Amino acid sequence: MATATSMRSVLEPTPDAGAVAPAPVRFAALAAEPAPPALRPAAQAPAAPTVTAGPSTPGRRLAELARRQLPAALLAVVSIGLLVGFWYLATKYRWQFYVRFTNIPSPGQVFHDVGRLVGEPKFFTNIALSLQRIMVGFAAATVLGIGMGLVIGRYALARRLLFPALEVLRPIPAIAWVPISIMLWPTTETSIVFITFIGAFFPILLNTMDGVAALDDVLLRAARCLGASEFALMTQVVLRGAMPHIFTGLAVGMGVAWVSLIAAEMISGQFGIGYFTWEAYSLIEYSHIVIGMIIIGVLGLACSGAIRLLARLTMPWHALGGKGGAR
Amino acid sequence: MSTDNPNKGHIEVSGISVRFGHNGKSFEAVSGVDLEVRPGEFVSIVGPSGCGKSTLLNIVAGFLRPTEGAASVDGAAIRGPGADRGVVFQQYSLFPWLRVRENVEFGLKMRGVCGSERQSRARTLLGLAGLLSFENHYPDQLSGGMKQRVGIVRALATGPQVLLMDEPFGALDAQTRVVMQEILTNMWQQLRLSVLFITHDIEESIFLSDKVYVMTARPGRIKAEIPIPLPRPRTAEMTSSPTFVAIQRQLKALIREESLAAMGGELADGGLGRDWHLGDEGVRAAL
Repeated sequence: MATATSMRSVLEPTPDAGAVAPAPVRFAALAAEPAPPALRPAAQAPAAPTVTAGPSTPGRRLAELARRQLPAALLAVVSIGLLVGFWYLATKYRWQFYVRFTNIPSPGQVFHDVGRLVGEPKFFTNIALSLQRIMVGFAAATVLGIGMGLVIGRYALARRLLFPALEVLRPIPAIAWVPISIMLWPTTETSIVFITFIGAFFPILLNTMDGVAALDDVLLRAARCLGASEFALMTQVVLRGAMPHIFTGLAVGMGVAWVSLIAAEMISGQFGIGYFTWEAYSLIEYSHIVIGMIIIGVLGLACSGAIRLLARLTMPWHALGGKGGAR
Repeated sequence: MSTDNPNKGHIEVSGISVRFGHNGKSFEAVSGVDLEVRPGEFVSIVGPSGCGKSTLLNIVAGFLRPTEGAASVDGAAIRGPGADRGVVFQQYSLFPWLRVRENVEFGLKMRGVCGSERQSRARTLLGLAGLLSFENHYPDQLSGGMKQRVGIVRALATGPQVLLMDEPFGALDAQTRVVMQEILTNMWQQLRLSVLFITHDIEESIFLSDKVYVMTARPGRIKAEIPIPLPRPRTAEMTSSPTFVAIQRQLKALIREESLAAMGGELADGGLGRDWHLGDEGVRAAL
């Protein structure tokens, strides 16, 4: 199918692609499971009702977790420490070797200014406004992207009718929509939300379509044999089955939404954390630039973390396929 | 469940032919097939691979319309898939996002049966299949044999009069297969429904069935109808009884003829033959 390749071309340049949920379980891989069921019933006595048939006490589990995660955590601290250390040295000695650190604020300066900024309500208004724009734009993209993705993925007529138009619009980066968007929408606020929506919409749409296409046909046949109506098929089989792909789309879409939002805020100059960062440059408050960047990073991380958490909560079955089997 | 009317579940297939178009050429997959499954009967179809066994089952299941002929269940023509005919597929077809019991409840939910009744019916059937303690597992936590058992239970949950099975144990190892066959006969005897069972395993077809249809190589026709007079309940020891062995020999000979015909045909077509330089006799010698 053409969507698979075209989707990849959308996924690759996004900054968040690395944080994407793992590929969904292929059913064929499960066929090789060897354990003979004749032997299983012996071990079934206190059948664990939950998915995580883990060790007994939470205390021991925590200790086990700590033991396994500690080396990785230490290395993570070292990794970030090196980055900050380089920043510190570069700004302390004002390094200049083609790249110029002359005007770059030092870590200490930034840290000091954060303390001052936290006292200002305007700072939080900017953050809240950006978050609100992300939420509205992303929510609209989620509803429309999943809805259209399901319909286009399932019905050939809808695909032939809608997909060509979408394919023409897809390669246009969300940022390129800024001028038209400002002309199109009555307020700057809605035009910024629209840019955010555009950024998130296409990854969600394409991944949903891909999820529908990847759905094993035998599941649809099984559902029809069990008396499922077309509506039930759509909501209880197609949507559920496409979930792993949909969450991939949501994670990618969230990344692109942030990129688009920050750019839109910087260009249209109507508050928000992107505006804050750009304004700091104009006002020669260099430490605020770095603070803005860090805030943007943290918010982006928190948003994709929230999506991954949501994926784990809504798809407890999805992690199972990976156990023992090759993905 | 399906015990309420033991006189239902009569499958009649008459004069069925199926032609598929492929790259402008059309070929006949199944030709002029008549078969019958009487209420409460266990009937198998065996034949060489590619003979159209699954095509026949897909017609009865309602996934496929025959080019010619008619198929009906209890006198009503088959118009599409429906919950009156349970289907067990060769591939695992459980919904991976539903727990075992939710999978079994799916058909009842589609019928609008209320939650508590769904649960009690699903639990009864899971108990019958020895799966009750796995009701809260996800399919990916089960072995292949257990998945297929859940698949059978799910197909039975809506109380169909007919169970259609398309090589359901094909992907299982030999020991698991034997266990599954015993479980299936047990459930079949308790629920007394009609079963149409597709397999390429001769022994399996004799062990399970009241009647075995042998199909020819493509285009698939019914080559023979073999009644299995073995008493019920069937036991593993019966597989070495003289009757069993005699039927087995007969079936093997019939299918061997057809497999040879199928391969000979392929070689004559030039599909494999171009590189093989084997005629019909060469194949016969090789086998």
